Amino acid sequence: MRMLDRVSRSPWIWSWLAAFVVWFATIMVTGGASTLDLSQAALTFAAFSIIVGIGQMFVITLGPGNVDLSVPSTMTLAGTVALKLMDVDNAMIVPGLVVAVLIGIGVGMLNYALIKALRIPPIIATLSVSFIVQSAAIWTNRGLRIKPPSFLADFTTANSFGLPNVAIIALIISIFAWFLLEKTVYGRWISAIGQSTPAAKMAGIPVDGTRFVTYVFCAVLASLAGYLLACFSGGAALNMGSEYLLMSIAVVVLGGTAVAGGDSNVPGIWGASLFMFLVVSMLNTYGLGAGIRLIMTGLIIISVIMLAGGRQPGAR
Amino acid sequence: MTIRKMLMASVAVACAAMPVSAIADTSGKKIALSNNYAGNSWRQAMLTSWNKVTGEAVKSGVVAAADAFTTAENQATEQAAQIQNMILQGYDAIVLNAASPTALNGAVKEACDAGITVVSFDGIVTEPCAWRIAVDFKEMGRSQVEYLSKKLPQGGNLLEIRGLAGVFVDDEISAGIHEGVKQFPQFKIVGSVHGDWAQDVAQKAVAGILPSLPEIAGVVTQGGDGYGAAQAIAAAKRPMPVIVMGNREDELKWWKEQKDASGYETMSVSIAPGVSTLAFWVAQQILDGKEVKKDLVVPFLRIDQANLEENLANTQAGGVANVEYTQEDAIKVIEAAK
Repeated sequence: MRMLDRVSRSPWIWSWLAAFVVWFATIMVTGGASTLDLSQAALTFAAFSIIVGIGQMFVITLGPGNVDLSVPSTMTLAGTVALKLMDVDNAMIVPGLVVAVLIGIGVGMLNYALIKALRIPPIIATLSVSFIVQSAAIWTNRGLRIKPPSFLADFTTANSFGLPNVAIIALIISIFAWFLLEKTVYGRWISAIGQSTPAAKMAGIPVDGTRFVTYVFCAVLASLAGYLLACFSGGAALNMGSEYLLMSIAVVVLGGTAVAGGDSNVPGIWGASLFMFLVVSMLNTYGLGAGIRLIMTGLIIISVIMLAGGRQPGAR
Repeated sequence: MTIRKMLMASVAVACAAMPVSAIADTSGKKIALSNNYAGNSWRQAMLTSWNKVTGEAVKSGVVAAADAFTTAENQATEQAAQIQNMILQGYDAIVLNAASPTALNGAVKEACDAGITVVSFDGIVTEPCAWRIAVDFKEMGRSQVEYLSKKLPQGGNLLEIRGLAGVFVDDEISAGIHEGVKQFPQFKIVGSVHGDWAQDVAQKAVAGILPSLPEIAGVVTQGGDGYGAAQAIAAAKRPMPVIVMGNREDELKWWKEQKDASGYETMSVSIAPGVSTLAFWVAQQILDGKEVKKDLVVPFLRIDQANLEENLANTQAGGVANVEYTQEDAIKVIEAAK
């Protein structure tokens, strides 16, 4: 009974519950025949939201006002530059990956430089950086779509042990993120800063260093997701990151991470990402018009947030 | 030729030769392109075509300037402000790809009142004082179903991939597709998803709906989404339906691969991004004093099994199959509308 009580109080349970309900409603349409296909598709596409969502979660945990709006353009730039560098050559996979990560580090540093040195609020700073980065992506290849190396294209679209490879990568990153948050001093520092920055400063926590590392971490995850997505969908496109702006924030909030900061939640990101893909699939499957579909998506998200938000104080 | 006509012709030549003639000379005119979005390969090709064709026109002295401006946020308010700036900068004509068919009408009216010629294309505006170079999007949708009815006379299930919800072009193409299905009732649309004219979005949406669908005979699209659909269907290990393509290089390349491997047949239809250059020449003709009807129609660019290789060879890697228009083409389109 206490076990059940604890589970029902954990903020991530609601996104998982919602994902399950929607999943069940979708497979019922075909009488269960689509179970495996739908689950694999959901895991595949959720993987990208999970990777960017985890980065965004770290930033949001830093406290009110902290958000990274440069995620979509970072994905686009990393995808385009890496694919252009690799140029369909399997031998260039590692250099391509390194360049993608370096782009992430660069964008993260630029973000924090604007926030810290020019004292610009994170929303404005990351938005301006996203314009610069997006323009750089347009400038590098003018929208050309270069195919990924064959090994990467096969790897990102294949399954191992019945699980999509990209979902396995997302799982590894999630475990790493969970370890960082729960088991390291760095994770404690982020939460402390999110709960009260002045108190964290008094306690001798290196606030600037921690925030800097967090913004860089978020940008690196975004560039990694861009690299994988470009390989998965057969080439980078200039607008490939655009839907991940709201998506990265939505999965964080739906997953039960406190928007005000200071409390984060890795399992919730998984539930929320699966849910976000499945809800669109469900409404498409039921054949509803675009207008109704968007309204329904909005209503369902609001209800899940309301349910998940009803947490008791001290139930952390 | 009568003496009178000859006289008139010589007067016209004399007028053209005179440096300060009122009409028949646009060498001092400045034309601006107001563009609302640059973030996909179609728009990039559109801007490249514009730069190429207008660059030559400026060099050879047809017009004084032809500058392209793109707004950062794809917002109507932002584009309205951009048009107001162009009025202040003293452009003689504004060529416009609008963010909204109605929201820019105020700014367009201001430009007209300031004596500026406004030519809208692709994303057209409803303001009566502006010219419109429109595509018959409905016919573009209907022709896809017509093609499928010849290819698959027995009919079957169709999956419809739509564009960006709430955009005029999406509604028009989709209406055309539904008209086509009414005309050829052996087809049935069993699923409809929004692919936002982007391969990765289409891939995601198709992968999500595919498990619940029966076997599909054809996929009707809007362009920029066919390759994504093919990827999703291949990943689900389903038999490949006839996917109507949208002239993107990745789509044509995939089609070519399938054609060589298994004799796969389909067709591809879209608007050439070079329509911006047609709008440029129309604006130039209007400035030149030509009488031009307010509503012009531009033909769409269709690729079939036979001319696939030729079109693929002419399409830049990662780009869109394109046609750039000349002054003569513009005159032909203007004449055809009369």
